[in-house]
Amino acid sequence: MSNNILIFSMNRNTSVEKINDQMLESVCRLTDTVTNAEIRIRVKMPDLEISAIDGFFHHTYFEPVDNLQARLQHVVGTRVGAGMLKIIKGLIGSDDNLEQVVYMVEECCHGIILSLTRKVLLKAPDDEPGKVRFYSDMVQNSIRLYDRCAAFAKGGPLVRELEAAAEKTTGAPR
Amino acid sequence: MRLENTTMREFMRNKLVSVARRDDETILVHAVLDDSIYSLEIDLTVTIDNLVCTSIVGRWLRWTTPECPRALDFLGEAAGFCLAAGIEDTIHKTIGRKSCRHYANLLIECAHAAREAVKIINQQKDGGNNSRSLLATATHKPAAPSIAADSSPQPGSATPIPPFTAPANQKPESSRTTTAARMRQDKQAGPFIIDLHVHTSPASPCASASAETMIEEAMRIGLDGICLTDHNHVWTAEQIETLRQQYDFVILRGNEIVTNQGDMLVFGFDEDIQGVIKLEELKRRVAAAGGFLAAAHPFRGFLTFGAGDVGLTTDQAIGREMFRFVDAIEARNGKVTDKENGLAAEVAERLNLPATGGSDAHDETTVGVYATRFDQPINNETELVAALKAGRYKPVAFR
Repeated sequence: MSNNILIFSMNRNTSVEKINDQMLESVCRLTDTVTNAEIRIRVKMPDLEISAIDGFFHHTYFEPVDNLQARLQHVVGTRVGAGMLKIIKGLIGSDDNLEQVVYMVEECCHGIILSLTRKVLLKAPDDEPGKVRFYSDMVQNSIRLYDRCAAFAKGGPLVRELEAAAEKTTGAPR
Repeated sequence: MRLENTTMREFMRNKLVSVARRDDETILVHAVLDDSIYSLEIDLTVTIDNLVCTSIVGRWLRWTTPECPRALDFLGEAAGFCLAAGIEDTIHKTIGRKSCRHYANLLIECAHAAREAVKIINQQKDGGNNSRSLLATATHKPAAPSIAADSSPQPGSATPIPPFTAPANQKPESSRTTTAARMRQDKQAGPFIIDLHVHTSPASPCASASAETMIEEAMRIGLDGICLTDHNHVWTAEQIETLRQQYDFVILRGNEIVTNQGDMLVFGFDEDIQGVIKLEELKRRVAAAGGFLAAAHPFRGFLTFGAGDVGLTTDQAIGREMFRFVDAIEARNGKVTDKENGLAAEVAERLNLPATGGSDAHDETTVGVYATRFDQPINNETELVAALKAGRYKPVAFR
């Protein structure tokens, strides 16, 4: 067998569009060697709740998902935000042929969050000291970021002030 | 051509994963993530027979914070991971937290692609026959996944919680008055501060400290008691009683249960709920048991990452359906922002619901960050539920 011929190729695209001031739509499309699928959600603002969902999922080997549309409707009302994955998984199901469906719903939700994140990040200054200040303030205001990735890891430059403040308050390192 | 009524995309993310065969034993996986914020790529080598990642290299193309490039130093920890189904949690916990969640996201795509590629290879070996059994071979969770660089729980096999047996001569009784409780009774009526939201390991997979460690820290910092509220985990009355006697300290039990409307703290309710339950149904069961239900961190993550810019007003917040079913609102939670706690407090006040406080601690460094201050000493679960229902308490910053 030639080494240069691809065995498998996957494209996953997620996009978010503003329908109007009260509604965002997020679509995840998956095309790979054996799959053709799409999940589309609408999210009500500012509640960030899923107000509508539909989609399809075709896989070469898996049997079609029973009652996919009905299963998807279970997540209507779920809020896009922290802790959503376990709720989505619990409501749709965790069978092997649902793994990708759940993941695509999650991708749609992440798209919504990242579209909001992008607007915040656009406010970051261009200069390096300004950026350090901007992201230090961000982690101070969003404590869940602390120690959740390399950028905000314990002892790092972006959390130095936060750790110093905690030490001053509690007398012990954070 | 004139375009009318068109909207700009608010966000776009593309992920491309390609898998090629290097030799009879190995596949090469190349993946790119390019979105409105980040651009990054990784290259993996993966063994065909057991889906073990033998090497991984990453590159940043675009990033945001000045410290993002440090993430590359930790990517190597994925070498040795078995990429079979179920590896996702381990990837989130190691690569996502130590390195970067976006690298973790892309690595999960690689794992999926590697599994699909191996199915195709197996099918080709088989000449296209028996494809469903070959599919199963590559899909099912491994019996003993190889994670050379990680000692965390293996995918597909939840960490067993060690059996906890009360001594034979000990009569368990959750509402019994212990020595500590008698001491509390001797204490004049007055403030009694309990951390009502504490997680422990291994009962909560996301926690890193044992119940013993959490209790010792609570005692050290001067709390009057703590309540263990592990995720969808029921501590038995016997276990709690043994801990109480061991430490001579007020130790109570609750539970944090996942509902379709978010996490809920329950007290005086020992039904073992697994998976996701509808909030309305949980409320019905808790009420039937005479228990108490509080919305845990109801606005967690709501006012960060730009979601705070969407203009959620208090009037809109109090209209959330969940508040129809709760007995109280956790208005001081140690894992959310001051603004999110502030909104929860405002909503509680507007709805005339009592407010609780808890650290949501997952390790000993944060026990007691927030707690609940009661008017009177509380010695056991029965007294806790009665006090919660009476509404004579308020959340406090303690630590």
